[in-house]
Amino acid sequence: MARLQDTAKGDGPDLLSAGLFIGFGALGLWMSRGLDFGTLAQMGPGFLPRVVCLLLIAVGLAVGLPALKRPAQAIEAIRLRPLLVITIAVVGFAFAATHAGFVLASLWLVIAGSLADPGGKWRHVLSLAAGLTLFGALVFVYGLGVQVPLWPF
Amino acid sequence: MTFVDLLFLGFSEAITPANLAFCLLGALLGTLIGVLPGIGPTATIAVLLPITFFLPPLAGIIMLSGIYYGAQYGGSTTAVLVNLPGEASAVVTTLDGYQMARQGRAGAALAVAALGSFFAGTVATFAIAVAGPTLSSFALSFGPAEYVSLMVFGLLAATILASGPVLKAIGMILIGLLLGMVGTDQATGAERLTFGAIELFDGIDFIVIAIGIFGFSEIIANLERTGSEGVKLAPLSRLWPTREDFHNSWAAVLRGTGIGTLLGLLPGGGATLASFSAYSLEKRVSKHPEKFGTGVVEGVAAPEAANNAAAQSSFIPLLTLGIPSNNMMAMMLSAFMIHGITPGPTVLTNQPEIFWGLVASMWIGNLLLVVINLPMIGLWVKLLTVPYRLLYPAILLFCCIGVYSMNNRIFDVILAAGFGLLGYAFRKAKCEPGPLLLGFVLGPLLESNLRRTLLITQGDPSIFVERPISLVMLIATVILLALMILPSFRRTREEAFQEEEA
Repeated sequence: MARLQDTAKGDGPDLLSAGLFIGFGALGLWMSRGLDFGTLAQMGPGFLPRVVCLLLIAVGLAVGLPALKRPAQAIEAIRLRPLLVITIAVVGFAFAATHAGFVLASLWLVIAGSLADPGGKWRHVLSLAAGLTLFGALVFVYGLGVQVPLWPF
Repeated sequence: MTFVDLLFLGFSEAITPANLAFCLLGALLGTLIGVLPGIGPTATIAVLLPITFFLPPLAGIIMLSGIYYGAQYGGSTTAVLVNLPGEASAVVTTLDGYQMARQGRAGAALAVAALGSFFAGTVATFAIAVAGPTLSSFALSFGPAEYVSLMVFGLLAATILASGPVLKAIGMILIGLLLGMVGTDQATGAERLTFGAIELFDGIDFIVIAIGIFGFSEIIANLERTGSEGVKLAPLSRLWPTREDFHNSWAAVLRGTGIGTLLGLLPGGGATLASFSAYSLEKRVSKHPEKFGTGVVEGVAAPEAANNAAAQSSFIPLLTLGIPSNNMMAMMLSAFMIHGITPGPTVLTNQPEIFWGLVASMWIGNLLLVVINLPMIGLWVKLLTVPYRLLYPAILLFCCIGVYSMNNRIFDVILAAGFGLLGYAFRKAKCEPGPLLLGFVLGPLLESNLRRTLLITQGDPSIFVERPISLVMLIATVILLALMILPSFRRTREEAFQEEEA
């Protein structure tokens, strides 16, 4: 078994970090391509972004290249359920808040968000959703005056 | 005004009913989230930041700082009773605290932790009151060149003192700097890195990043890692420590306070680093180091005193120099900024009531926390049995409303969800997200000071080595970098953080 593991190489988390660093650096460089670099005395808007991006790519290489040679280490398993459910619930809330009002948006967020954890009972989820929505409406919308319609009409 | 006058001014500010109420609220919230594992002070403060916009500046800041040091008290409760650190800074408390609880001395452990924390908090508050005026009058002589060097030093030192690989932390700072540049360039008015999105022309809001990376991705990670069931408790016994406990712990509390106050000052320092260092120091000076981990009271007293002292003394660089030393202080900086106050030496002279009011409220808050924690411990313990399943939808809702309420637009909420995904990727890549926040808040300051310096000298960078204070900072930075390359130092640093992982 040990033999088998020796042949595989690459430190997963470090390679992922390197990818993120280099990716951000490259994206930043590409986006700041039209910005004026300027001189040291009169720095243009593109001066620091480019310097930072180049440093970022250098750090990415410094993290990534040694990681290629280290023994294999897998990235922790990704569980899609919480990741997707939470993201979709939040994005849904964002659209619902302006178009359907706070009450529906908040009910959606709590009920949809609860699906991220499969163990819950519906009775609990529904009463939690109702309670939190009432609390949110009273504290944030009435109390603190957050500018959001309560109802869709 | 003399020192006593200023302190009096502070107490008269802190003791107004509204400020007292927000101090209590912060302390309660801090204890609450300290007790609950899975919610940290960073996420909580991120969620509450937008709300402080509706409060007077001092009240909001008093509340947020109450959450930070309150969490240090609450964290110990969970550590002792269920062997789970409620906060990262309470990890070492589990080692001896839980063992004490298993021997039926849970009450003594909690009381020593709370009283030690109170003592440490008092000393650290006093340290702020003394160091504040001295340091800030020194900082008034800083020009842009000194600030650039100070920030470079601060950012690099933060990566070395924080846990995790240094290179990755530097990478995270750079990403933070880059994110800080999104939007309209302050000096030239050019649009930078905006994808042409109008919503980004004003830059990305700190709260969007903080809630995305610390709020949303923390929820996702918690749901992934653990089941969402409640936890089992060690039985709680008689609360008051024995005479022997007091005798054994007072020296440990003193040492913990000292080391915590000092480490809190350093960039990247803060509660977590302080508690680990205090524990290893205690083990080193102890006559019976082999007993550590079996329930010795010093093992609880020292780290608990240290984390509380450090939580408070880490306010010093922010309040006097305007430079946040860790991600919690980055949050505090933006809490000040929401109200148009730039922390730093000028606040002390122009708005002394803010500085002294905060200092006084910290001492009052510590006193409140002892009361909240000791007699009411049973209540907090009950809360531990609340399953995460019922908590996270509430956190999710507060996060969403918080982000939305800043500009009343859905764009921010969706952007925060995107940062949640990014934060999740960072977690999988084992990158600590704290330095990113630090880079993000310091980025614009660094850029404008760098520009100003080089504009004054017409592009001649030698000013950085000609000004003495700046030179000292740069030499310190070079020494830190050189130390990182030396293998022997790297080994000690890795050893120092190994206990953290164990």
